[in-house]
Amino acid sequence: MTGYLIRRFFQMIVVVLISAAASYAILNLAPGGPTAGLRQATQSSRFRITQEDIQRIRAYFELDLYLPYRFTRWLIGWPTGPIMIGGQELFANTPIGCRKPVEGTFVDDKGNYTTRVIGCDEYVYFSSLEGRRASRGVLFGDFGNSWRLNRDRPVTDLILSRLPKTLQLGGLSILFALLLGIPLGIYSAIHQYSRFDYIFTTLAFLGSSMPTFFFGIMMILLFSVLPRVSDLPIPYLPPGSAEAVRDYVIPFFTTEITIKAGSLTDRILHLILPVSVLTIISVAGWSRYIRSSMLEVLRQDYVRTARAKGLIERVVIFKHTLRNALIPFATIVVFTLPGIFGGAIITETIFSWPGMGRLYFLALGDYDYPVAMAILFITAVLTVTATLIRDILYTILDPRIRYK
Amino acid sequence: MTNQTKVAVLETDAITTKEETPFQIVLRRFRKHKMAMFSLGLIIVVFTISLFAPLIAPFQVDELFVGKYFVPWGTVDSESGRVHYMGTDNIGRDYFSRLVYAGRISLSVALLSVFISSLIGIAVGAYAGYYGGLVDTLVMRFVEFLLTIPDLPLLLIISSMLISNPEAIPIPQPVLTVAGKIMLLSPFQARQAVLIIIVLAGLGWLGIAQLMRGTILSLREQTFVEASRSLGASDAHIIFRHMIPNAMAPIIVAASLGMAGYVVAEAALSFLGFGIQDPTPTWGNMLSATQQFMLDRPYLPLVPGLPIFICALAFNYVGDGLRDALDPRLKM
Repeated sequence: MTGYLIRRFFQMIVVVLISAAASYAILNLAPGGPTAGLRQATQSSRFRITQEDIQRIRAYFELDLYLPYRFTRWLIGWPTGPIMIGGQELFANTPIGCRKPVEGTFVDDKGNYTTRVIGCDEYVYFSSLEGRRASRGVLFGDFGNSWRLNRDRPVTDLILSRLPKTLQLGGLSILFALLLGIPLGIYSAIHQYSRFDYIFTTLAFLGSSMPTFFFGIMMILLFSVLPRVSDLPIPYLPPGSAEAVRDYVIPFFTTEITIKAGSLTDRILHLILPVSVLTIISVAGWSRYIRSSMLEVLRQDYVRTARAKGLIERVVIFKHTLRNALIPFATIVVFTLPGIFGGAIITETIFSWPGMGRLYFLALGDYDYPVAMAILFITAVLTVTATLIRDILYTILDPRIRYK
Repeated sequence: MTNQTKVAVLETDAITTKEETPFQIVLRRFRKHKMAMFSLGLIIVVFTISLFAPLIAPFQVDELFVGKYFVPWGTVDSESGRVHYMGTDNIGRDYFSRLVYAGRISLSVALLSVFISSLIGIAVGAYAGYYGGLVDTLVMRFVEFLLTIPDLPLLLIISSMLISNPEAIPIPQPVLTVAGKIMLLSPFQARQAVLIIIVLAGLGWLGIAQLMRGTILSLREQTFVEASRSLGASDAHIIFRHMIPNAMAPIIVAASLGMAGYVVAEAALSFLGFGIQDPTPTWGNMLSATQQFMLDRPYLPLVPGLPIFICALAFNYVGDGLRDALDPRLKM
């Protein structure tokens, strides 16, 4: 087991490095990005952007460094200055970037004009990196500074400010989904082909086909819009954000009560809609899963043996069947871990929930690559960890499985 | 002479029930699934509407009626006598026509994504499963890892890159023209849809490849494959004539469930603004646009939202029915 864990640990490091490189490549190899529109801006007389401004902007986004150096600076925070060994500067004449690229415009045989970089007027050397702002490297937990959303503030701050809200939403919905989904699945499996089972499987099927965004909008429509625009007796629930900006009044049976902005009641009311959307969607999928794995175990010979021994049905179901049926289910629940961190992107966006999912969405829309990459990278690390936890969990839950 | 008569007698004795081809067996089993049959009918209706979109929709997608914003359902256009069955949207485009064209675009994107991802998945899975070795280990490890990462963040990051840099991937002009013909778009507009197909299929083949590899691995040990090999059949012959046809059942089921997944995924991307953008109608971006008018017109989100839900549900039911019909062991 120890040997297995050590081997797995090294595999994990390799996978994390590859996924870091891949997520970096996706965002940095594509043209455009944060300096898109800079070229047009230089040609407009309104902005008066000088050559120095462009060099400064390119240096801010580290675009004046070649890609491998940019990547290592992002990953491990190296190089940050001249490489000195024994008072001698090594690679002093190796250019690691280009401060002032020379562009040429070419015409191809179809008559299309293309602009390409053809040379370099002024190179960047290791020594010119000294004094430049640099992160300690993603691998050491420093994700650099945000570019747009919270300019020049550490990405870590931004993520930590959003994380509690996402954990609140994800944790509550997973808790409720487990509390509802497991009993529903068990009950439905025990009473297979009963009327309850029929209604339950149909509803679960509907629920797992329901797109989250449509479901979310329907909930807002039902509980936030309709109580305001019609006289239907539907309780009002706030549709968005995590707490209200100002006090509001909601009808409560025959009277009306005022909710103080930011009070506990206010925060709970804001949680209800997003949590129920996430819960219902997970319950639909999970209970179907529990049901089918329960049914599979109920067909096994050892369950028949247990019944033949004369054990009472409760012991057969909970001790012999459920424990075995939950083994595959445990892996599914473990894999919601990276999902929680990444946040429920769609649900958080619909309900303007200030969590990680919405942060990721905003970061992509605003070209705030350090934020987007940080979230993607942490998600990948959590995924790898979840895989390991799953494999270890297997050995605990199912003693038949042994790793060498 | 005597031998022949014997055979004839045997034949007449043996045929007591009507012989069924495998296809007929599947069809008979599929018919038993009532919801799947109903869903199949529904899908045929939606596809027919999409196919004849130019005949059914009275207006063009981008036909603007300045000043006629949010006209009520069934308003007749005074100049041409055409009817706005579902009124117009906030900038005066006919809602019903946009919905019909949107269906054609959304379904084409889903269908092409399923087709491409299945082709890639079958090829990669069959190769990895049949030949094994280093390629198998590396590729399948990679597939396994990508499959465990939550897919929406990946879809979003790739499609946001491609949508903001449409020229990043060179797409041959004939492809754009053909895609444009299918979706009734100009080649220029079709580029966006093709990019979304690339994104969806680019992540969609992973599951198919894993499924295919598993099936091929188990088929490789079957006696009929061994028999074929001992007869001197080439690898290509074994893979294409024996293995792939035998491995198709789970792939067909996965493709049908995949249609539901792609319809929703495309709608989700367009809804979030990282998919097909506004002048081109899709159910997703139409739903997204209704959000700001919800307070005045609460019914509005239902119009583009229900088709997404119904299509997803119908494809899921058909997939469920196909699973029951093709492989009763897999019944959930």
